[in-house]
Amino acid sequence: MTTEIKTAPARRPAVMWRLLRSAQLELRMLAMLALLSIALSLISPYFFTLSNILNLMDQSVITGIVAIGQTFVILIAGIDLSVGSLTGATGIVLGLCLSELPLPLAIIAAILAGGFAGFINGYIITKGRVAAFIVTLGMMSIGRSMAYVLSGANSISQLPEALGDLASSTIFGIPTNFAVLVVLYAIAWYYLTLTKGGRTIYAIGSNVEAARTAGLSVDFYSILVYVISGALSAVAAVFLAARILSIDPIAATGLELDTIAAVVIGGASLFGGRGTIIGTFIGVLIMVLIRNGLNLLNVNPYWQGTAIGSIIIAAVLLERFLSAREGMRRVEQEDG
Amino acid sequence: MTSLGDAGASPSLALEASDVWKAFERTQALSGVSFQLRPGEVHALVGANGAGKSTFSRIVSGHLRADRGEIRLFGQATQFASARDAIRAGITMVMQETSLAPDLSVLENIYLPEFGRSGWLSWRRIAARAEELLDQFGQRGHLPLRLPVRDLPASQRQMVEILKALALDAKVIIFDEPTASFSPNEVDRLFDVMRLLVERGKALVFVSHRLEEIFEITDRITIFREGRTVADAVPTAGMRPTELVRLMVGREIADIYARGVAGRGAQAAGTPVIEVEHLAAGPRVRDISFSVAAGEILGLAGLVGAGRSECVEALFGLRRIERGTVRLSGHAFRPRAPVDAMRAGIGFIPEDRRRQGLVQDFTVRENLLLAHLARHRGFGLGYDEQRAGMKHLLDELGLSPRILDHGILTLSGGMQQKIILARWILLAPKLLILDEPTRGVDIGTRSTIYALMRRLAQQGVAVLLVSSDFEEVIGISDRIVVISDGADVTNIPSSLVDVEKLAMFAAPRSSAEATHFVLEELVRRFGGIAYWIFLEGERLYCFDAVETPGAPEIGFGRGTFPEISQSAIPQVLERRAETFVAEAAGASMLVAVRGHRGHDLGHVGLTLSPGRALPDPAEVRRVVLAGPRAQTQVRAAAGAR
Repeated sequence: MTTEIKTAPARRPAVMWRLLRSAQLELRMLAMLALLSIALSLISPYFFTLSNILNLMDQSVITGIVAIGQTFVILIAGIDLSVGSLTGATGIVLGLCLSELPLPLAIIAAILAGGFAGFINGYIITKGRVAAFIVTLGMMSIGRSMAYVLSGANSISQLPEALGDLASSTIFGIPTNFAVLVVLYAIAWYYLTLTKGGRTIYAIGSNVEAARTAGLSVDFYSILVYVISGALSAVAAVFLAARILSIDPIAATGLELDTIAAVVIGGASLFGGRGTIIGTFIGVLIMVLIRNGLNLLNVNPYWQGTAIGSIIIAAVLLERFLSAREGMRRVEQEDG
Repeated sequence: MTSLGDAGASPSLALEASDVWKAFERTQALSGVSFQLRPGEVHALVGANGAGKSTFSRIVSGHLRADRGEIRLFGQATQFASARDAIRAGITMVMQETSLAPDLSVLENIYLPEFGRSGWLSWRRIAARAEELLDQFGQRGHLPLRLPVRDLPASQRQMVEILKALALDAKVIIFDEPTASFSPNEVDRLFDVMRLLVERGKALVFVSHRLEEIFEITDRITIFREGRTVADAVPTAGMRPTELVRLMVGREIADIYARGVAGRGAQAAGTPVIEVEHLAAGPRVRDISFSVAAGEILGLAGLVGAGRSECVEALFGLRRIERGTVRLSGHAFRPRAPVDAMRAGIGFIPEDRRRQGLVQDFTVRENLLLAHLARHRGFGLGYDEQRAGMKHLLDELGLSPRILDHGILTLSGGMQQKIILARWILLAPKLLILDEPTRGVDIGTRSTIYALMRRLAQQGVAVLLVSSDFEEVIGISDRIVVISDGADVTNIPSSLVDVEKLAMFAAPRSSAEATHFVLEELVRRFGGIAYWIFLEGERLYCFDAVETPGAPEIGFGRGTFPEISQSAIPQVLERRAETFVAEAAGASMLVAVRGHRGHDLGHVGLTLSPGRALPDPAEVRRVVLAGPRAQTQVRAAAGAR
């Protein structure tokens, strides 16, 4: 009895400290995000206006949704290059279905199409033992081609107004699409942290042989992550179409690179096993903030690519430097 | 015999290491070893797993740097920064086929170190040098120079590895278990090459587990144990195999097997939990049968590469079972994936902890609960249901619950192994398979692991231990099944066997093949049945037997170990008769056989049906003793063709 009373207060700070330590990476990223926002608000008075903040939220939706799937894939040491073209292709599927089906069914059809393409990716990568880079590169080409074929190379416009509500309505003052994004991240966090499937995904990425030897369903989850990635590409397509009530076969070109950049900025390792969904969310916000800032500063669009590329590399280098130092300190402590 | 090396630094030594220390993170690999190598000798470097042999070899050849200590090469103090430095100084190491580039040709691989030199590389000159090299060592025609290494069998790849070292014209060459993938022919060819090198004054270090080979080829022996030198450059001729084993293993671990705790023999064990019959899986598992009863510890012993690990991996669903039947608690069982085996009640502690055991990015808790996670049916984690069991288990393993939230890599190797054991014990398996569970762990952890195995057996778990440490197998098992070349050779209670006899059952191929040839030669000439046995007290151990059709029934065969009185030819065995003795079963005689260095290898015997004309015993003895040499001659003739 007495011991319990004694240990309880001493324990709490330890738990807090451990939580903070385990979230160190996210905290650093968050600090970087804050720093970036402060810098931008100092440079541009427009930055902290409501309309710009709504704009930021809106811009983070598409990359943000697809980056969830990309995180799942990168956690098992895979990569999905097909997400951009699948967003384009499933958008076209959505547009075509809308002329025949009610909105919810059309959305489901698009998600099924995305999930199916992801399944093909995952199945060939896992069962055929082909490098993820190659398979998804192929799917990237197929997806874009299907978008052109299905649409006859024309954009589909005049989509139903009900779809537009997804982009223009608000819930408790928050834009619906951004609220959906936050909910999706919460679900993904729950899944990756507190369920059997999520931990299995981490175990596969960290040491696939050990996962197999411990009896985990390695193949099932290795395929599942690509299905999730494909399906989320379709969800992103829905919100993309909702924004302008039109969908174009070239939509979301280059999205795969933005999502990979966001995941990596968020601290995930391309070798698998390391990374968190919260990190990815912060990574997405940093990406959006940088683009937004460059626009506010009136940087020549031709130069923006160079600026963004440099910032991505610098951010990841800095992170490696910091975590390497931390790792070294940890080893020294253990030896001592 | 000359004196055992001179004291102090001597220029007459090719290599001299004194007081070498090396630590890896938490483990102290070398604690002040010393080593002395003369030019023109083959020097055995032996030791159990984790004794520090490879660490030492890698330091001497520049792959690793010592923390402390002095290394002198021909009297000169050296400290290599890289393998390239060491090569320049004239010392090189033959690896176990791991340093080859599989897509490059044999020629390119042999001269790979040349690529590191600056300047123009003349292919024609190199090709000519390669031809010359092959000629010198009698390898011409054995190795296709233009073929990519990928297309060669393992043994030929090892030969490429060796030629690579020879091409460097090193003065000191370290052979790190070069014969692991060799057939007897190839071992002999390698030994011929080594003798040639010694004649030219090279100094060779021979790292090996195979006692037979050590006694055949080496001049002196240095033994490492737990990072210390326990025998320093002792002449091989003066060393007995038993003494060598004793020095390798050390007396102090003799009692860590907690023998007093259980001591239940095979008879006392319960119903069979797993029965394996004629199992075949892949190239290395050809025909293995055994069974393990509830409450029994069965040891699967054998040399590395004999197929033991592959066998248990097949039982756990990690390899496809091609032929044979497996019954688990009486029901047919054929796992397609580990999860099938787990749900059927099998636990598996894999051989390679880093590669197959640990999830490096996970905490201790998640590593401990990994198998639970796999078996758990449900969407969530279900960690809570294991909380009580986990706490109890950690207590028993002497681990504090506070480590649960630490990263698994912060633990020592021994503690990591305890966590992996706990992972499976938590699931209360019916059958627990442990593949080399004590490799690279300290003595304290070893005794904990043994005690745990005993306790599990007492609780009725069937325990299957795979180990190449014969001392361990004998110490902890109730019964031992010896695996050699993918088949079970014998099934013997551990109380009836010692390390030497186990080694003969496991049959280092180099010696067993020669004896087998003798047995075949005997029955070819004289008919009847010929056998290789070891007599000890009232018991005989039969390692091999060859018979002709209609041979007499002698009451034992390969892999059996009856009492002499139970055999059909007790008189000849009792008397160790070297001339024919007629008994009811037939007339028999024995010939005592000794190894090259005079160590006792038991007897070769011949039994002929009653009434047959008996050959001259001297003639039989001549065939037995000339056997291996005759074989060499045959091979030489074939080589000359």
